[in-house]
Amino acid sequence: MSVPTLSRTRFETAVPWISTAARLLLAGVFLTAGVLKAADPQASVTAVRAYELLPVSWATLIGWGLPFGEIALGLLLAVGLLTRLVAIVAAALLTCFIVAVASAAARGLSVDCGCFGGGGALPRGQTHYGLEIIRDVGLLLLAGWLVWRPECRLCLDRWHREEIA
Amino acid sequence: MSNTKRARELARQQAELAARQRRERRIFIVVAIVLVALIIGGGIALQAWRTGRAPVVSARPSASATPIRVSGGMPLLLGSDSAPVKITLYEDFHCPHCAEFEEKFGPTITAAQDQGKAAVELYPMSFIDAGSAAAANAMACAAEAGFGQAYYLGLFANPTLQWNDRQLVALASQVSGGGPSDSFRTCVTSRAHADWVASINSVAEANHVDQTPSMFFNSRPMDLATLTPQALQSVIDKAATP
Repeated sequence: MSVPTLSRTRFETAVPWISTAARLLLAGVFLTAGVLKAADPQASVTAVRAYELLPVSWATLIGWGLPFGEIALGLLLAVGLLTRLVAIVAAALLTCFIVAVASAAARGLSVDCGCFGGGGALPRGQTHYGLEIIRDVGLLLLAGWLVWRPECRLCLDRWHREEIA
Repeated sequence: MSNTKRARELARQQAELAARQRRERRIFIVVAIVLVALIIGGGIALQAWRTGRAPVVSARPSASATPIRVSGGMPLLLGSDSAPVKITLYEDFHCPHCAEFEEKFGPTITAAQDQGKAAVELYPMSFIDAGSAAAANAMACAAEAGFGQAYYLGLFANPTLQWNDRQLVALASQVSGGGPSDSFRTCVTSRAHADWVASINSVAEANHVDQTPSMFFNSRPMDLATLTPQALQSVIDKAATP
């Protein structure tokens, strides 16, 4: 039974590094998406309104605030503070994105997801709902991994825990 | 020290450590929530300012100072009537790609308008939001008042603005040199050209224009994905040479 034990140990050694990679990748995606969207507040509001899910005033607030929420999440993930909690929030946010895109597809809307800036109505047949959902599901899996195993290297959580111990 | 005493001491230490860890964790959570709230709140305030502030334009001379007539379904002609090249543009003043288009090709087109080589037939569409329609209406008001070209450039120089009436009037006072006339103000606030704005959208649909920006060069559709400012310059020069 030495082989499974060995591979199990190897796996456990790799986990913190897998988690670190997942955390930094997710941080990069959220920061990029947030910064690109924050650059054009008008386009960001248009992108939210195109989903036709929220009243105008809410769409405006989300269009203005969401990019900065993404930037904040990205920053927390990048420094590795409260990784599990932040990963739960990130997973919830990604679930909202997936539901929004799926509902746009289901209602026959023709919109750009506006995930990385831009967004809004698209001419018929130019949508990429499948790809957008696959990408978000991939990101959701990364967030899920971090909820399960938030171990980290190069992060504030670790420094905090070691200082106490 | 008896074993029970030692065990009790150890348990006490562990409980203390656990309590400290919980306390520290709570502090971290509060700090993180405050940080996130500050970033989001500050971001919303920043965007409210960016969309609500007064327009800013860099001073530049206006190419066409001739007032033009606004008639249903017809585009606004910016530039000389006799220019050999007609550049037809379908744009929404709130479409992000239109602002990018203007940044990339605007200088080339404006120079050609100034030299009398080209005139722009503008179809200001309004499918994005209320600001698009308000800006399209104000654009017609400005063309009618004789500062259409400068107003057009001013609208695209401020793509983050929401285009409420106050901003649309303020833009006119910036580009027309001196305060806007009362008739311009009324034209903007009463949506005097609302029917024309609607007619432009119908014409665009009838012409199968389903995205902005769309550009036609002497009625020939241009592929904006591959077009460069240099290529546009050379086709303008070629068409403008007798």
